[in-house]
Amino acid sequence: MSERVVTERSSVLVRLRTSWPSVAGVAVLLLVLLVFPVFAGVAYLKAGQYVLIGVVGAVGLTLLVGQAGQLSLAHPFFLLVGAVSYAVLAGDSGDSGDLVGLGLPPLLAVIGAVAICALVGLAFSPVSGRLRGIYLGVASLSLVFLGLYLGQSLDMLSGGTSTGRPPPTFDLFGFRFANSDPAPTILGVAIQKQQRLWYLFLVLAIVAYLLARGAVRSRVGRAWRAVRDNEAAATAMGVNVARAKAQAFTVSSAFAGLAGVMTALWLDLVKPDENEFIGTYSITVAISYLAMVLIGGLGSIPGAVAGAVLVNGLPQVLTLGATEFGWSIGTLSPVLISAFVYGAAIVLVVLFEPGGLAAIGRRLTTRQGDR
Amino acid sequence: MNTFLQLVLNGLGKGAVYALLALGFVIIFKATEVVNFAHGSLVLIGGYLVYATKDALGWPGAAVLGIVSAAVAALLIERLLVRNARGADVNSLALLTIGVDVIVTEEVVRRLGNDIPFIGDPYDAAPIQFAGLTVFRTQLVALIVGAVLITAFFLVFRFSNWGVAMRAQAENKEAAALMGIRSSRVTATAWLLAGALAGVAVLFMATQDFSGAGLGRGTHAIALIAFPAAILGGLDSTAGAVVGGLVVGLTEALSAQYVSFEFSKSAVFLVMLVILVFRPSGLFGTRELSRV
Amino acid sequence: MSAPGTVRSDVAPLAVESVTLRFGGVTALSDVSFTVEPGAVHALIGPNGAGKSSCFNVISGLYRPTSGRVRLGEQDLTGTPPHRLAGLGVGRSFQNIALSPHSTVRDNVLLGRHPLTRGGFLAGGLRIGRRTEARHRARVEEICAFLGVADRLDSLVAALPYGVAKRVDIARALAVEPTVLLLDEPAAGLNATETAEMGVTIRDLADALGISVLLVEHDMGLVMGIADRVSVLDFGRLIADGPPEQVQADPEVVRAYLGVSE
Repeated sequence: MSERVVTERSSVLVRLRTSWPSVAGVAVLLLVLLVFPVFAGVAYLKAGQYVLIGVVGAVGLTLLVGQAGQLSLAHPFFLLVGAVSYAVLAGDSGDSGDLVGLGLPPLLAVIGAVAICALVGLAFSPVSGRLRGIYLGVASLSLVFLGLYLGQSLDMLSGGTSTGRPPPTFDLFGFRFANSDPAPTILGVAIQKQQRLWYLFLVLAIVAYLLARGAVRSRVGRAWRAVRDNEAAATAMGVNVARAKAQAFTVSSAFAGLAGVMTALWLDLVKPDENEFIGTYSITVAISYLAMVLIGGLGSIPGAVAGAVLVNGLPQVLTLGATEFGWSIGTLSPVLISAFVYGAAIVLVVLFEPGGLAAIGRRLTTRQGDR
Repeated sequence: MNTFLQLVLNGLGKGAVYALLALGFVIIFKATEVVNFAHGSLVLIGGYLVYATKDALGWPGAAVLGIVSAAVAALLIERLLVRNARGADVNSLALLTIGVDVIVTEEVVRRLGNDIPFIGDPYDAAPIQFAGLTVFRTQLVALIVGAVLITAFFLVFRFSNWGVAMRAQAENKEAAALMGIRSSRVTATAWLLAGALAGVAVLFMATQDFSGAGLGRGTHAIALIAFPAAILGGLDSTAGAVVGGLVVGLTEALSAQYVSFEFSKSAVFLVMLVILVFRPSGLFGTRELSRV
Repeated sequence: MSAPGTVRSDVAPLAVESVTLRFGGVTALSDVSFTVEPGAVHALIGPNGAGKSSCFNVISGLYRPTSGRVRLGEQDLTGTPPHRLAGLGVGRSFQNIALSPHSTVRDNVLLGRHPLTRGGFLAGGLRIGRRTEARHRARVEEICAFLGVADRLDSLVAALPYGVAKRVDIARALAVEPTVLLLDEPAAGLNATETAEMGVTIRDLADALGISVLLVEHDMGLVMGIADRVSVLDFGRLIADGPPEQVQADPEVVRAYLGVSE
């Protein structure tokens, strides 16, 4: 890293003075996100929802990759487990009665799906606790292949590759996240299914963000960073290294599981992929999540958000541009362009700015006087 | 029994191809400690050039061009990118190769468009019958070519100056430098060699016999099998890469027959996981891949 | 929690009992025994390759001895998982500063509170236990003040001068509230002034806190100036064990250090 900004703020006064602009910034951002459904059409809302899914998944992955120093390519597997678990827990047995569905209340099903992903992640401890860094990355690839196989063979859970199964409509104490008549309105705009899902996803993303940030600043985060930086020193300070690694993997799996539930609701479909290299739960997705956390700056929670906006947002924006404004992108599909952009971004970040967007952001916001 | 023998022969043929990929992977790791996630894209580059030039140059010429291109592409990745990321640790370098892989793969797939060509013209889709066995000619040729190349590699690795320098460098970089070994040249050769092996491997991968699928994303996915092959053998063991490749080839062939085709790839990874749980540094690996 | 200046009364002797350590055919330690008395500054010295580091790693649980054991009072440390030692009152520093470079001094020293605190991901995420956290933060500030690094609490470790980082490393070891502090070459890489200051600090630690200190050290001046007792290793054997002046005069120690016919 070329230069390091060292901030020494001892007095509370200084801290307050430097933090009020960021407090104001957060307030403005929140306000914009809250009124987004008012001025944005359904296509924009879908794009925004997709970014929020990325935020939840990327925040979880940056805890593992950036904070604990463990690489994982298994994120799509946990997306799949989360999506299928939600459909199974909240769903019914389908029209022909050949699906497993427990018919639980959707809120309970979401919590259950996240818990199942955490447990599956925990069950991977013998591997995730023992392998280091990149080796875990390769070992975790096995889960993607396993997920592909299980998704294809356990039709009664996943709905199978041909039709999949519909995820049950989410509802919260009787308030359904679906279109209704009459619908409540905000500033004259009807709050229908997509608007409701936007708010749901926004809340989930904020919860994920705050949980991760709290954890990073606490005992757990310190233990993870210690394991990442020096295992012998972490051990000497009382950290059980294998447990800390397994814990980070478990937590990251749970976040991915939540992102999986969100993916199911977003697509309105749970359907396993037909092959391992392209699809909703494929290796391509694993790489796009890695791209998010790397571009954002390893270990940085705001960075993961920025990475998700770039990696998940770009194809959506390009698609919108093509459909709404008639942007011409020739034979290049939005997905392809985005892949080029984030592929190049990965290379550039490693070569020139290992701290990613987070480091760039820090430099921009750090005032000269603080140097 | 006949089925079993047939499976073993075909499995070994596939295994030889995986061994070529895994060997390249291990060579790069030994020379630079970089886990090269861009190995699949080297495969695609080689394959694409064979496809694009075989009508003009004839298959043999195109094959040579493909191999050379894959080798040069590997060298370029090392010279232009890996070498210039001086401050980055080996984990970041591995991530860098992921970035390269994304770009190259997307570009090759885009160029192929709707084509998924087979590129094993001289041997593909002409099974050989003998002693009641049906053996895919591609796998048989692969086995022979693999055996020759791997033997040649080990001879070179054992006796040539490059081999000695390479082993010294893998053992202790500083000491090797003090002995006058030019790390830069050793490293360049390692990448070049690994790329060439990937270029050879693809000649067998994108065939009717091997995968039933032509050159495309599927070929890239097959190349991912080189990871478990290299890891279960031990990332820093060249012999382990060969054994790992064969284990993977056999596992795939046998589980496809006796369990299901869909299961066969998962089976490969499951075998790797089991081995890693009991031997975290792989079957023949010495470098510590885990520590507590 | 004791404030610096309060002498601890619960310090037990650290006994190394007949420890032998073999790697394959090589014997790194051969039947080594010595005891670090409560509140003493005890130095472990010896020429390069004498087995000091091996011995240190056996005590801190990174190596398991082939035979023999290490006890802290009644507690057998041999075979205890190494991450449990901190909770049993064993703190250690590292020769080449094993701090997290991109974290602040405060964050690094807070890591030492790990065995004294509880709480997993959810507790952290939901910010449960902030009041106890505040208490630990206050204690960390105390410890850093004691080591003279309180003014660097919010600096990143990567930005610290080497001598300051060494002190931070010791502060982190102290943060586990050890009864025995293991210091691995605390003066390595320090200049003469810094070494002298480090000596004073180590002596103060033992005197003011009443804890035992075991240090492995190359700098003879430092060792002889502050140690209550010195154990000397040579080729994995204990060749002398006693007060500094007695050890200094020991002919076998002199021979080991002058290196006769090797």
